[in-house]
Amino acid sequence: MNFIALKMLIGDRAKYLGIIMGLMFASLLITQQSAIFLGLMTRTFGFLTDTTLPDIWVMDPKVQYIDDLKPLKETEVLRVRSVEGVAWAVPMYKGLLKARLPNGTFQTCNVVGLDDETLIGGPPQMLQGQLSDLRRSDAIIVDSFSVKDRLARVMPDGRREPLKIGDTMELNDHRAVVVGVCKVTRTFQSQPVIYTTYSRATIFAPRERKLMTFVLVKAKPGQDTHILCHRIRQVTGLAAYTRDEFKKLTVRYFMKYTGIPINFGVTVVLGFIVGVAIAGQTFYNFTLDNIRYFGTLKAMGASDVTLLRMILLQAAMVGSIGYGLGVGAASVFGTLSGSTELSFRFPWQLLSASATAVTLICAASAVLSMWKVIRLEPAIVFKS
Amino acid sequence: MIRKYLLPVLAVLGLGFAVLTVISGSKTIPPALPFVDPAAPPFKSSVAGTGIVEANTENIAIGTLVPGVVSGIYISVGSKVKTGDPLFKLDDRDLMAQLTIRRAALHVSNTTVKVAKASLSDVKNQLALAESITDKRAISVEELDRRRYAVQIAKAKLAQAKADVVSAMAQIRETETNLDRIVVRAPVDGKVLQLKIHPGEFAPAGIIQTPLILLGNVEPLNVRVDVDENDAWRVRTGAPAVAFLRGNKEIKTDLKFVRFEPYIVPKKSLTGDSIERVDTRVLQVIYSIAQTDLPIFAGQQMDVYIEAPDQLQKSSAISQIEQAKQTGQSHE
Repeated sequence: MNFIALKMLIGDRAKYLGIIMGLMFASLLITQQSAIFLGLMTRTFGFLTDTTLPDIWVMDPKVQYIDDLKPLKETEVLRVRSVEGVAWAVPMYKGLLKARLPNGTFQTCNVVGLDDETLIGGPPQMLQGQLSDLRRSDAIIVDSFSVKDRLARVMPDGRREPLKIGDTMELNDHRAVVVGVCKVTRTFQSQPVIYTTYSRATIFAPRERKLMTFVLVKAKPGQDTHILCHRIRQVTGLAAYTRDEFKKLTVRYFMKYTGIPINFGVTVVLGFIVGVAIAGQTFYNFTLDNIRYFGTLKAMGASDVTLLRMILLQAAMVGSIGYGLGVGAASVFGTLSGSTELSFRFPWQLLSASATAVTLICAASAVLSMWKVIRLEPAIVFKS
Repeated sequence: MIRKYLLPVLAVLGLGFAVLTVISGSKTIPPALPFVDPAAPPFKSSVAGTGIVEANTENIAIGTLVPGVVSGIYISVGSKVKTGDPLFKLDDRDLMAQLTIRRAALHVSNTTVKVAKASLSDVKNQLALAESITDKRAISVEELDRRRYAVQIAKAKLAQAKADVVSAMAQIRETETNLDRIVVRAPVDGKVLQLKIHPGEFAPAGIIQTPLILLGNVEPLNVRVDVDENDAWRVRTGAPAVAFLRGNKEIKTDLKFVRFEPYIVPKKSLTGDSIERVDTRVLQVIYSIAQTDLPIFAGQQMDVYIEAPDQLQKSSAISQIEQAKQTGQSHE
């Protein structure tokens, strides 16, 4: 029986391809759009993805997301250090500063100031130079994307000469020397990221009363981070989040205050509807076309259950082929766009979510067809 | 045959590639390790502060009473001095010239005394001669009186000349005192921490930004610890403390409580900017560094932890979290 079902399915090549194409595009659209959406959301906390060493981030209680900069007094680091259960606490500066490039143009850069002594919070991967080179005078470390792109030196003939170690630039009217190139996760605003030491960052920064953006905290071994967060909040009156909480806070802000989730949500829903419409309708048509054979089988004494199993098998067959092709195409797209500005993130949850969506589409189509087959009179074969 | 299996094979390949993408995309980024490990508090509950190392006499900025050009320096950076040892000398040519003049004046005064003595002897002699004449007719009363007054005048002149000598000697002493004042001496036993004056440079009197000489006793060194005023209440007199040298947490030392600075001061911003930007006030606690064989210098920053009681009793919220954890564990 199963063989007959498959034969029936593949026999009508045009319909077979039609159903698979419909399912493939549905799964491609759902997967790819969701992956881009997830990629964008991941980029909002790209800086947190890179900075994995500290357990807890302490900041002003009014901070809403990672780039919402509300600096603290410098003595707060001492107060945080005094909280029981804190192994260490170091200051961090994060701010947007204007860089003047050698050709005279300006570029806003995301400047990160690391604790002078320990250089905690540094980039996860250095491509050229050492993190410790930041100890040199006027030293900065620049991210690898902007070295070739935004901060590159434009030659008279239009060529872009990448920034290299030893080149100088001006940060807010102060001289800065590139001593290293690092790899960072791209951020939402994708400004060039510049790492330097805390005290140098405060010199680069415009004169303000408060300059320290975050206090990075490591809990003592065995200390529960949630309890420590609570204690820090209670003792200092500042906001303290674990890395995951801070990520969630940032994502929640973007979900709430930007149109991004609605845009992508609409596309994903459209993909789902297109899948249901095309694949479901084609599958239903396919069943209608083959209704004579089902009738014959029924007349020959095949039970309803057998017929339903056949339809389910056909649905599962087209479903899995369409799904495989769809997610495969989405992955190829993601791999090809990996080195561009486009964000693409493909976690296993998305893989199973799109599987669920395709299963739903197939199930909906199958139910329509089953209904038709169950109500089928075997006598229909002999009509006309 | 190929046509029949093409699509399923492609689908399997597609799914496989998707799984690969998922796996390669889910790699976590390893943390960037700190360049040096930061020091962890050695006490269960403590107050953290930033310490700056200084001499136990505090760092004494040596000044000069009189302004002038430096003509000689008796010490070098790092040399040890005793109380009263000369540090440097200002140009003394004008005072030396004055001293010569005043010594000459003393000489003149001394000579004047001699002259006055001689003339006193002369008039005394003449008076005695006149008085020895027994025949009153041989000398008039007037003449006798004149000689008597001459003796008195000569005595007075001698006294004046002697007073002139005293005055001249006092003037010499004044010049000598001035000469002594232009030699600046060490007020305490200690070590020269900074020497910012050189022969030929002008040393102004009064308070100046860069002291001419920074002097202090560095055995033992003290640490001046800044504690945020919000945490100041937790620091107890005599509380034990540990200081970590910046850059190497292995170099640490126990501290001995010395005293509180009773007046809370605004925190000095250590960004190198001359303008004060932070409105926090800090309690300064002075501790003494117990160990002397450590590579610690005056002026260096240290991370200090002072043992202190806990900030708060375990609040209800924290115990709730803990309870939730415990029940969660017991369910497992």
